[in-house]
Amino acid sequence: MSAATAARPSLRRRIGAAALVRNRAALIGLVILIPLLVAALVPGLLTQADPNAQDLTNSLAFPTWEHPLGTDKPGRDVLARVIYGAGPTLLGALIVVLVSGVIGIPLGLIAGFYGGKTDGIITRSMDALLAFPPLLLAILVVSTFGKGLETAALALGVVYVPAMARLVRSVTLVQRSQAWVDAGRALGYSDRRIIFRHILPNLVAAIVVQSTIDLAYAILDIAALSFLGLGQQPPDPDWGSMLADGRSYLLQNAIPALSAGLSIMLAVIAFNLVGDGLRAQLDPRERER
Amino acid sequence: MAAYAARRLLATIPVLFFVSFVTFIMIRLAPGDPVLILLGGKRMSPEMIEQIRARYGLDGDPITQYVAWIGRVFQGDLGTSFKLKQDVTDLLLSRLPVTIELIVLSLLIAIAVAIPLGVYQARRRDRLGDYLGSLFALIGVSSPVYFTAILGVLVFSVWLGILPTFGRGTEGPLDELYHLILPSVALALGMIALTSRMTRSAMIEVLSSDFIEAARAKGLPDRTIIVKHGLRNALIPVLTVTSLQVGFLIVGSVLVETTLGLGGLGSLITDAIQNRDYPVVQASVLLLTVAFTLINLVTDLLYGVIDPRIRTT
Repeated sequence: MSAATAARPSLRRRIGAAALVRNRAALIGLVILIPLLVAALVPGLLTQADPNAQDLTNSLAFPTWEHPLGTDKPGRDVLARVIYGAGPTLLGALIVVLVSGVIGIPLGLIAGFYGGKTDGIITRSMDALLAFPPLLLAILVVSTFGKGLETAALALGVVYVPAMARLVRSVTLVQRSQAWVDAGRALGYSDRRIIFRHILPNLVAAIVVQSTIDLAYAILDIAALSFLGLGQQPPDPDWGSMLADGRSYLLQNAIPALSAGLSIMLAVIAFNLVGDGLRAQLDPRERER
Repeated sequence: MAAYAARRLLATIPVLFFVSFVTFIMIRLAPGDPVLILLGGKRMSPEMIEQIRARYGLDGDPITQYVAWIGRVFQGDLGTSFKLKQDVTDLLLSRLPVTIELIVLSLLIAIAVAIPLGVYQARRRDRLGDYLGSLFALIGVSSPVYFTAILGVLVFSVWLGILPTFGRGTEGPLDELYHLILPSVALALGMIALTSRMTRSAMIEVLSSDFIEAARAKGLPDRTIIVKHGLRNALIPVLTVTSLQVGFLIVGSVLVETTLGLGGLGSLITDAIQNRDYPVVQASVLLLTVAFTLINLVTDLLYGVIDPRIRTT
């Protein structure tokens, strides 16, 4: 992990805007992300229609000027629902990654820094968590603590903890043996100061890459839980539940299902492209290929 | 090596206890009383309800219940489904074949497509064919398996009319296989993407090594170099990663089965969780976890075979 040991200013250069522009794939990913983020933050900017307004006389309509993507079963505007659905889906995925980071990063730091018994306990617990088939654990947690976007995101966050903790632990192991850690000790710095002020900054690169890729997988998983009816609850729009909904009248009008499914795909592609681009910039071994 | 394998196998036992215990407690924490499901809407006196609780092992504190349940599991008794009133072992055995067929078929499709694709990409590195392959891989990892399945139904069943839409074949093995094509291709797509990426980079690495140079200098035919010298060496890491992927196929099969109504183990679990069917949830999560853990174990052992340094840590 020589990328992680480099000094901070060059890190900013490597993951900054200029570096991403140099990487064409990552640039495409960013371009896809812009409208998605606008839809997630200010959906009203992209459509005038109300995503929850029903019009039962206009059920499953095909595209018109008024409804560019047609309507769903209760006659709601599909385009508006796709746009308003970006928020919950992306927010859910963000919560997943934040939860995994807030729990996984400290655990990985502590395991890697202290080693020995502490490391053993943390690593064992992570292995135990990894023994559950991932999505199954989330389904179980959600049905125990109640359906809904928040529960689904928190449950998935826990599922994502071991991967983050493992990564942070392995990079911390490398950092711990560096000379500046001994120097810090000699100066009488506390463990906490060494961990957070001297080791953590060197892990940022690895954590950023992992989080971006995790975001892509989190979108797939959060939409899967919604698809199974365990995430965002009706009537509020969300891509996963829209897809499940659209599946039931697929043969009459496939546009609602296709719109929701393609939105999920596009968002995941965007985060994958940006993540791969970041990795290529940050990991010199990858840049060769 | 045998000692290492035995040690790893022993280490999985506490993990299985942990997973089964967590599952057991969690399903019991969930709101909703399973006795009401057992009664199926009938009214009964409190004494009768207590009797039913006792009969289904729902009385006493959770720890006692768990110990009793584990004891019965070791005797091969997984209990009776609350909802379907069927022996859980029979239920699992009747649902298992679909899921296994689905996973095996996907695995075969994935390997058959991904490895040639990766080799092709490595040979045409940075040319059009390589870029198209990478684009396909990107779409493959990025499309949710439940959407790919729906898309497949739309294209191949509705528009082209060449494959069945939903459900499981009922007219003999050929019909069953016919019904499995769409779900297994959908399930295989993500794996094709990851495996072809892996094959591509492994092949590129091998093809740039000295012994390939030597083989070329000897004037060996291109085909021999690629297959005998290149692929053989590149395949080791690829197959290891592939075996790790089987775990993800298990999870994916739950989604594909639910989407396409295949009625395998996956849909059994999601239904059972929703219905608070404790015995079915406990048994099927245990079964999937055993499968998942064994696959992970085999993968780790394979790593150990390839890289002996792993064994000591």
